[in-house]
Amino acid sequence: MKKLGRKWTEKLEFGAFTIPVLLCIITIFYIPFAMTIRYSLMKWNGISKNPTFIGLDNFKQIFSGDTNFTNAALFTIKYAILYIVIVNVLAILLALVLDMKLRSTTWLRTAFFIPYILSLVIVGFIWKFIFMQGFESLGDSTGWAIFDLSWLGEPGLAFVSILAVSIWQSIGFYLVIYIAGLQSVPEDLKEAATVDGAGPIRKFFSITLPLLAPSITISVFMALTNSIKVFDVILSLTGGGPGGTTYSIAYDIYRDTFQNNLYGYGTAKALILFVAVLIITVIQLAFFKSKEVEA
Amino acid sequence: MRSKHTPKRLILEIVMVIVSLLFLYPLFLTIINSFKSFSEVMTDVIALPKSFTLENYTYVWKYINYPRLFTNNLIITVVGLAGIILVASIGSYKLARTKSRMSNFIYMLCIIPILIPFQSIMLTVLQVAKQLHLSNSTWGLGILYWGFGAPLALFIYHGFVKGIPREIDESATIDGASGFRLFFSVIFPLLKPVTATIVIIDVMWIWNDFLLPLLMVNGSPSTKTLTLAAYTFVGQYTSDWQYAMTAMVMAVLPSIIVFIFLQKYIVKGVVSGAVKG
Repeated sequence: MKKLGRKWTEKLEFGAFTIPVLLCIITIFYIPFAMTIRYSLMKWNGISKNPTFIGLDNFKQIFSGDTNFTNAALFTIKYAILYIVIVNVLAILLALVLDMKLRSTTWLRTAFFIPYILSLVIVGFIWKFIFMQGFESLGDSTGWAIFDLSWLGEPGLAFVSILAVSIWQSIGFYLVIYIAGLQSVPEDLKEAATVDGAGPIRKFFSITLPLLAPSITISVFMALTNSIKVFDVILSLTGGGPGGTTYSIAYDIYRDTFQNNLYGYGTAKALILFVAVLIITVIQLAFFKSKEVEA
Repeated sequence: MRSKHTPKRLILEIVMVIVSLLFLYPLFLTIINSFKSFSEVMTDVIALPKSFTLENYTYVWKYINYPRLFTNNLIITVVGLAGIILVASIGSYKLARTKSRMSNFIYMLCIIPILIPFQSIMLTVLQVAKQLHLSNSTWGLGILYWGFGAPLALFIYHGFVKGIPREIDESATIDGASGFRLFFSVIFPLLKPVTATIVIIDVMWIWNDFLLPLLMVNGSPSTKTLTLAAYTFVGQYTSDWQYAMTAMVMAVLPSIIVFIFLQKYIVKGVVSGAVKG
C-alpha cells in the first residue's frame, strides 16, 4: 500500500514538472502543425467559412509546374550552398588569425560580432541605404567603377548583395564558435607536428582541421537551418526584386499565404519545406558526425 | 608558444584592424547620416555632418512614440523569457532525472520542434493564438514565445542537468525538501550558467524578431515593436533617408547598449549555446 502511494506522488510530481512545457510546445507546434497538414489538403482563401477538401491537388499543382516555387527553390538552394561554404571558410580563416593572440584580438572579436546583434530587417535597410546612396558618394570620391554598378537593380548582382549582406551580419557568430573550437585543439599535437617537420599548411590540414570537426558540424548545421529559412534580409533589402528574381522559399510561402490569400496552397508549400528541412538536416548531421574524430 | 612580436605579425595586426574598421564602416555611415539634414544626406553620404542636429531624433521619437514601443519590446522580452526559463528548467530537470520510456518520449516530443521551420506553421499559429485570445497584445505575444523558445532551452538545460550529481538531490531530500522546494532552492541556483546562456540567446532573438511580431501585433500602433516600427517607418519614408537612418539607430541602440555591458557573457553564451544546441 505504501509503495503504491509513493508511486502516485512520483507520478504527480513528474506531471507537475513536465506538463507546463509540454502544454506550451503542443499548443505552439503540434496543434498548428496538425492544422497545417489539414489545410494543405484544402482549397481555402481565408475568407470563406468553409474550406473545400481537395486531397492532394495542391501538391500536384506545386510539383507539376509552379514557376514561382521552382524559382524560389532554386534561389534558396543556390543561396544556401554558397552561404554555408563562404561563411564557414571565412570564419575559419578569421578564427585562425584571431587565435594567434594579436594585441587587438579582443577588439577584433567584438567588431566582427557587432552586426550579429542587429535585427536582420534593420541590417537589410542599412545596406539598402549604403547600396543606393552610400555607393554613389563612394563612387564619386574614389572613382572606382565597382561603386557605380547597380547592386540591387540587376538580378545577378542583387543575389550577390543578399549573400554578402547575410554573411556580413552573421560571420561573427560562426567566428566565435570556431575560436572556441581552436582553443580546444591541444598545443602539444601541433608542436609534435612541427618537430616532425610539418609546415603550417600541412599542420592545418592534418591536425587543426580534423580536430575542428565538431565545430564544423555545428556551424554547418546552423548555417544550413538559417539559410533555408532566409526571409527578413530579402524583405528589407530587395523586396524580392528586381523582377521577382530574389524570392526565397520562405518568402514565396509568406507571399502565397498572406498576400495572395492562398491559405491551403501556401501551407502545402510550407509542409514541403518542412519535409525538405528534415531530410537535409538528418543527412547533414549523419554525414558530419561520421567525419568527426576524437581529440 | 608565446606570441612573438615580429614585423610580420605587426603587419598582420595592422591589416586586421583596417579590415575590421571597413567591416563596421556601414554602421558608421548609418550613425553619421542620422545627424544630417535631408539635403546633406542627398548630396554627400560619406561626409561628416556639418552641424550635429538632433532634429531627426526628436521627430522620430515623437512620430513612432518611442517610449511606448520600447516598453512593448521590454514587456514581450521579459514575459517571453521568464516563461521559457520557468517551464524549460523545471521540465528538463524532471525529464533528465526520470529514466522511463514515457520520459524519453516526452523529451523527444519537446525537442523535435527545433527542426520545424517557422514558415511551416505561421498561418495556423495565428489561428491558435486567436482562439486563445493572445493576438494583438504584447502580453499575448510574450506568452507565445514560451512555446517557441522552450524546445531549445529545454535541450540545453537537459544536457546540463545530466552533469549535476544525483547525490545533491538525495541529500536535499533527506533534509526534508521535496518537489518544487528542492528544485528552486537547490537545483535552480546550480543552473545559473546555463540560464545566463539562455537569457542571452533568447533576449537577442525576441528583441530583434520580426516575422512573428509582424503577424501578431502589427494591427495597432500601440502594440508594435521597435523593429516593426522601423520597418513600417522606412516603408513610408523610403526617400527620407535621414529619418530612416535615425529610426534604425534608435531601434538597434538598446541591443548595442546591452551588448556593451554583457559582452563577455554574450560570447560565452553563444559558444555554449551553439556547442550544445
